[in-house]
Amino acid sequence: MKEMIKMVVVLSLICGLSGLTLATVRQATSARIEEQVLTYVQGPALEQIFTGYDNNPVKDRKAFDTPGGPVTIFPVMKAGKLTGVAFETFGKGYGGDIGVMVGFTTDGDKLQGIGITTLKETPGLGARVVEPDFRNQFRRHSTETIALSKSGGDIQAISGATISSTGTVAAVNEAVKIFNTIKDKLPDAWGS
Amino acid sequence: MSSLWKEFSKGLWKDLPPFKLVLGLCPVLAVTKTAYNGFGMGMAVIFVLALSNLLVSLLRKVIPAKVRIACFIVVAASLVVCVELLMQAYAYPLYQQLGIFVPLIVVNCIILGRAEAFASKNPVLLSVADGLGMGIGFTISLTFLGSIRELLGTGQWFGMQVLSDWFEPVRFMVEAPGAFVCLGVLLAAMNAFTNWQRRTKGLEAVQGPVHDCKTCGMCATKPGA
Repeated sequence: MKEMIKMVVVLSLICGLSGLTLATVRQATSARIEEQVLTYVQGPALEQIFTGYDNNPVKDRKAFDTPGGPVTIFPVMKAGKLTGVAFETFGKGYGGDIGVMVGFTTDGDKLQGIGITTLKETPGLGARVVEPDFRNQFRRHSTETIALSKSGGDIQAISGATISSTGTVAAVNEAVKIFNTIKDKLPDAWGS
Repeated sequence: MSSLWKEFSKGLWKDLPPFKLVLGLCPVLAVTKTAYNGFGMGMAVIFVLALSNLLVSLLRKVIPAKVRIACFIVVAASLVVCVELLMQAYAYPLYQQLGIFVPLIVVNCIILGRAEAFASKNPVLLSVADGLGMGIGFTISLTFLGSIRELLGTGQWFGMQVLSDWFEPVRFMVEAPGAFVCLGVLLAAMNAFTNWQRRTKGLEAVQGPVHDCKTCGMCATKPGA
């Protein structure tokens, strides 16, 4: 009996201590991990969209309240002046959510372009939404009527990957909706 | 001091984990596409192995024998999650490359093997020396294997172009089968070297498991029996 109690106590103590350690380490690193994820997952997508900017969009990011919840906005600036913003939205794909970084210019109702952040689509089919051939259709596209060609728009879907294409377009439209609710607040937020 | 060095150095050649003990082969085969990946994985293993040996050795008198394996696993798993979090915070590209193999360090036989076979029976300093030696041996092995595969497979070493244009990269070496072939050739070369060493000392060559008629059950239906 005594041995049994000792076993339970020792194992529980070890587990408890390890839990405590893990919670501490997690708390200490969580801010930095978020920064790293943004730099290495969202950063490359931003580079695909914008060229010729001189700030660090990840570092200058700000959270905005929108009707659908808070959204993290990445500003793109040149010589201290805001030239564009980008943020991430999600659309339903075939293998899970497709994360799309959608960039807008501040000087009108135009998209600057899109970049893909997270993707679990089928290689060779749905995963081709990352290819420039598909993505570049959104470059300098008007924010009105973004749709696939079969729904009367001018975006060519990837053949054999209707779901992934539709999901990407849905994410872009979602982003347009959010952009329209916040665009008036943008110049104030980054002081230009 | 000499025993400390003995425990440390045995991991470097005599009991070199992947090649002599042939333990922990899953990461050895999977993450050695490039020298850098092998090196990063090795560093994570050094950290986990040395600290888990330290903790297990400290707790060896407290842990009841019946639940020792569970205790060792809890210690190793906590350390591995710490490594994973730290790697995400300070070396995210490496984390993206190693992916699932970082959490899988928990089930790496070397960690539990050293805890059970060494740290739970030996004092703290010796256990740490053992863990460090084994970890460094593991890192060197992984980096070496990774270097060979990266060099032959892409003509690069640690991401730098080493071989110039005349070299046609053998893509096979950075694919999964290349790992097996490379490991096999290395093991064979090491055995040949050991045997050569023994021969120069006048000893007989090391042999694999010997099958004789007493222990072997393979030919139960012998002709004429």
